Amino acid sequence: MQIVVSGVGVVSALGVGVEAHLEAIRAGRSGISKEPSVLRTTHRLPVGELRLTNDALKEQLGLPADQTVSRTALLGALAVREALADAGLQPHGRVGLVSATSVGGMDLTEHFFAPFMADDRSGRLRAVKMHDCAASTEWIAAQCGITGYRTTISTACSSAANALMTGARLIRHGVVDCCVVGGTDALSAFTLNGFKSLMILDSEPCRPFDEGRAGLNLGEGAGYLVLQRAEEVENPYCTLAGYANRNDAHHQTASSEQGNGAFLAMQEALQVAGVEPDAVSYVNVHGTGTANNDRSEGVAMRRLFGDRVPPFSSTKGFTGHTLAAAGGVEAVFSALMMRHGMIFPNLHFTTPIAELGLTPVQQLCEGVDLRCVVSNSFGFGGNCSSVVFTK
Amino acid sequence: MRCFVQRVMTDREVTTDLKQLIPDAAMRRRMSRVVKMAVSTAVECVGGVEQIDGLDTILTATGWGCLADSERFLRNLISEQEQLLNPTPFIQSTFNTVGGQVALLRHNHCYNVTYVHRGHSFEDALLDALMRAADGQGAQMLVGAFDEMTPSQHRIMERMGLFRTWKDGEGAVFALLTACQTEHSVAEVAGIDFPSEGLDAAAVHARYATDERTKVIWNDWSIAGCYPTASAQAFRKAVELIEQGTPEVIVYNAYQEASPAVIRVRWVG
Amino acid sequence: MTMEQLIQELKEHLIEELNLEDITPEDIDAEAPLFGEGLGLDSIDALEIILILEKNYGVRLANSAEAKPVFYSVKTLAEYVMQNRK
Repeated sequence: MQIVVSGVGVVSALGVGVEAHLEAIRAGRSGISKEPSVLRTTHRLPVGELRLTNDALKEQLGLPADQTVSRTALLGALAVREALADAGLQPHGRVGLVSATSVGGMDLTEHFFAPFMADDRSGRLRAVKMHDCAASTEWIAAQCGITGYRTTISTACSSAANALMTGARLIRHGVVDCCVVGGTDALSAFTLNGFKSLMILDSEPCRPFDEGRAGLNLGEGAGYLVLQRAEEVENPYCTLAGYANRNDAHHQTASSEQGNGAFLAMQEALQVAGVEPDAVSYVNVHGTGTANNDRSEGVAMRRLFGDRVPPFSSTKGFTGHTLAAAGGVEAVFSALMMRHGMIFPNLHFTTPIAELGLTPVQQLCEGVDLRCVVSNSFGFGGNCSSVVFTK
Repeated sequence: MRCFVQRVMTDREVTTDLKQLIPDAAMRRRMSRVVKMAVSTAVECVGGVEQIDGLDTILTATGWGCLADSERFLRNLISEQEQLLNPTPFIQSTFNTVGGQVALLRHNHCYNVTYVHRGHSFEDALLDALMRAADGQGAQMLVGAFDEMTPSQHRIMERMGLFRTWKDGEGAVFALLTACQTEHSVAEVAGIDFPSEGLDAAAVHARYATDERTKVIWNDWSIAGCYPTASAQAFRKAVELIEQGTPEVIVYNAYQEASPAVIRVRWVG
Repeated sequence: MTMEQLIQELKEHLIEELNLEDITPEDIDAEAPLFGEGLGLDSIDALEIILILEKNYGVRLANSAEAKPVFYSVKTLAEYVMQNRK
């Protein structure tokens, strides 16, 4: 059974919707800002923040400002709504939603917790009702009229790639006829401080795959795709031909020297797709900009592709690292690149990592024929997932 | 789709010393209570740490995730005003910590996913296992569910009025499943369904039972209290009933306001 | 505070903050490597040690290659604290 992408929707620091993204990327304009403006934090660090308040997001969704909704759910609903409209799909009982998130309603919980810590009778309860991950999925489904099978996946920064994989398998096994898949994560003080405590946030715009890279920029966003059986779709973006989930099993946070998880995930995903490594036109790398990830991922690419590493880029210089959403946002980017014959550039790159000698695509390419695209997403807990799109 | 249950175990049945189940002291010392509880149940369920090598699928389910570590990091963040924070509770707060730690114990590179869909998380993981088995990728699968109660969570749920009828709860349940029936198979997971509306006992029987002696178990939180993945406890009980001679058991789970989930468990002829 | 007292105190902080089970200060050889062999600490522990130095002694240390010799053993940590504490 062939499963295709029939619609896409995306929200990130670059704006709301596909058009805003294409426009920003064509103009070479990054969404990374010098410091947060919507998020409440004392840290003055670059972030990929969507410069719209929650009230502004609610307005776009036609909701009253006084409704309590997590930012994660708001971002997700905007992207799912766009993906469904793009696919021209009216949800029905056999349409599913597999959504990924890692922060869930943490943005609301943060506001609840300060008064709660002082006195456990205070803090508004409706702020914690959306704390758990499923709350965002269920709210998005209700907003968009999705009543079929719904679930939530959380495997840190690989979450949304796994949502794509689960969604495709649910269609194959007849659990649903059609599935909306992807992920959403809002910026939160929790995650910003978490990555700060790990000392892997760059105080400058991130430089994926550069010798001088000094960490990641945290981002926020949502990316969703509509997956359907090929025979039901007239003009799909691409086929979701392969996917794999393998575990690096090296360390709770650090990637292995040999890039084992990344290598196994890419290798198996290509096998599932029935594609030889030589036939890959482009790799959208995980490329966070941390010393450890980019080196490990680069080693894995060298192991798989040898001297013929295909054109590749990390798009995190545009969006920041959107955590659980990254696999969704970047799958949307992959689908867009295939449809429009483009390769999005890797920003802020000057010098290849010495031991790897790998140079990403640095200028926007247009008029390219991408037949096969690999998108990587790796996370804490050793989770490594790759998806393969073909045309 | 179907798969077979080799063993199913709860945290309360773990008898082996923690240091034997989790031999790596460096891993042990960072683990919170729930991670220790879940990982030790997982390891005992598969039959010792070396048996992790044989797994080709690791699926975990949790409604709340690692609450204590999430809360610890959040409290520090607020009280220390975002300065000099210890990264360990942040790292350990991710929902896939337990699945990752099980893999890490023996450097197992296999498929590893965590479902976090509130009261359905366990059924979602079980559905994934059924799909793995159907695809010929589930020769040895570990599927488990865990949640922990913390004083803050208890207080919040109390304020929400959730304990008017039920006491709070927590627990870990892990099952070792196989795609093919073996001499050690104790039950068959014969199907999972997510009906769109709530059903009463008669309707459950009418829709799912294939035998007049079929028993229906309601996930009523009577086994280990009220928590999101408590239906795994009901699943454990279903397997027990099969072992005692019931030919078929239906586990019906409706957690809070969520739409229901149904697991059908059968004896292996 | 003498060097010996500081070494003892650092050992106690390490045991407490890194949750080293079944280990007493006497079990830690002040000159043995902290990472890899010896206590077998890793990159996350390095971050926690940076916090121990900053919180207790006001000593700031970046997590960089230059800092590596400082992290070698309890003794090298103590020497660094002695030189840089406020």
